[in-house]
Amino acid sequence: MTGFRGFTHLSVSPLSLSPHCFLLSSNVVFKIHTNLLGVSKLPSGLLVASLENYSPVSKIGVFVKAGSRYETAENLGVTHILRLASNLTTKGASAFRICRGLEAVGASLSVTSSREHMVYSLDCLRDDFEGAMEYLINVTTAPDFRPWELSDLLPRVKIDKAVADQSPQIGVLEKLHEAAYKNALSNSLYCPDHMVGKISVDHLQQFFANNYTSARMALVGLGVSHAAVMKVGEQFFSTHTGFGAPGAVYRGGELRVQSGGGLVHALLACEGAVAGSAEANAFSVLQRLLGVGPHVKRGSNITSKLSQCIAKATTQPFDATAFSATYSDSGLFGVYVISQADSVINAAMAQVTAVAEGSLTADDLTRAKTQLMADYLMSLESSEGLLEELGVQVLSSGAYSSPQTVTQSIDAVTSSDVVKAAKKFDESKKTMSCYGHLANTPFVDEL
Amino acid sequence: MYNLFAFCATRKTVCRRAATSRLMVGFRKWYYNACGFNRLGLMRDDTINEDSDVKEAIRRLPEQVYNDRMFRLKRALDLSMKQQILPKDQWTKHEEDVHYLEPYLEEVVHERKEKEEWAKK
Repeated sequence: MTGFRGFTHLSVSPLSLSPHCFLLSSNVVFKIHTNLLGVSKLPSGLLVASLENYSPVSKIGVFVKAGSRYETAENLGVTHILRLASNLTTKGASAFRICRGLEAVGASLSVTSSREHMVYSLDCLRDDFEGAMEYLINVTTAPDFRPWELSDLLPRVKIDKAVADQSPQIGVLEKLHEAAYKNALSNSLYCPDHMVGKISVDHLQQFFANNYTSARMALVGLGVSHAAVMKVGEQFFSTHTGFGAPGAVYRGGELRVQSGGGLVHALLACEGAVAGSAEANAFSVLQRLLGVGPHVKRGSNITSKLSQCIAKATTQPFDATAFSATYSDSGLFGVYVISQADSVINAAMAQVTAVAEGSLTADDLTRAKTQLMADYLMSLESSEGLLEELGVQVLSSGAYSSPQTVTQSIDAVTSSDVVKAAKKFDESKKTMSCYGHLANTPFVDEL
Repeated sequence: MYNLFAFCATRKTVCRRAATSRLMVGFRKWYYNACGFNRLGLMRDDTINEDSDVKEAIRRLPEQVYNDRMFRLKRALDLSMKQQILPKDQWTKHEEDVHYLEPYLEEVVHERKEKEEWAKK
């Protein structure tokens, strides 16, 4: 299922509460009027998609294949700086003017980056679309990297890194990717320490020229007509095709970070499925089967198989969720455990093995599938979720599959698919990253 | 005498542009030499009066240009203390005088004016 990144659904603080999940009855159907949705490709290679939902607020996103996986060894951290530099002076407007101009119309511009994509999204009132788009176009096609503005960014980079260092969840995820892959996906989302202050204007310009080409971009609009978005899309043209990036190579490794505190955050994963494939659906269903956090606030997480199994193994507080991340050419699937005792990880693994041996009932499977469908459909309810889904799908496959198609493909997952997925986890080379008080934590080859 | 002409190089005179003609070129070369700061090895932009806009423009100079400026100023201060001037072959020539600060200064002024325009609204 393209775009459904389990990573974004990994509750960053698993001990917090995830949204309610309603069991859907099979009569509920989610429709997008397909005559209002348009996807087209311009001659410059730019993909344009729009959904006219007659909303008074327009939301436009520019999705670029410029995530941290496209960084090379010489310019590690350049995406972090680019993310922070998105509001700086461009060839058409100064930083001050971008800020004031957007404020004047009540628009907001934000930039998000992930391992694969850089997303610039603009919210504005429908009538102010033309004016606000000018700023978005400037930011994404013509930034003017000025050395003094970039050196003023340094404190912000440091704050970002300090905040990330404080959070064990972010640390464990970054370390997992670093341990699991040899290149591309092993790059961190944050600027590494040795590159803070050393990313120069040349690095930025080179990265920009190689990656921000119209063939690698998608322009997505919600609440705008397709014609208007196409017209804007014509302003994105560049003759560069940019360089291809190497495919991600999974290696399976281990990274452990000793730190203070009484808890151990451990993330154990194997290579999963590619985004959009049927295998990815199987992994997502398996993820839901094993448990992704309580569905009822302050509840006891009864439906999570992992929690049930681990509760038998230890009486100390713990939290366990299944983790799944999919990228365009690879994926990760595993379990994320927060605990104090050491038997927890073994218990979690035993549970997955149990599923691999086929101990899953038809009820469990239906429940997992329904939860997955519900989560997916509810993520489309918000404009951010819909924009992200539209953009990532269009950028990776050039077309948009409607929610019906997606829910059908989820429904098509059988218990043998899920068992196969669990077997894959059991048998493949694992990666582990742990963070915390590691005295009693087993190594990945001891599991 | 040199100092009097140096103070004349305030920001207003820096920004004026006269049309080039054969008469003006000769006059301008004469005026440049008469100003006298070239005898201390300085360029026109080294002598500019430092107000807040100029300070910001100097902050934005690339490292190499900034270091050259500092060197020239140090050398000129040293010569001034010793009551000496450079030998004639080391005087800055009118053709060699690069107005390095002008683009940065224009940008700074433009930005300040933009902010003031917005503040008026």
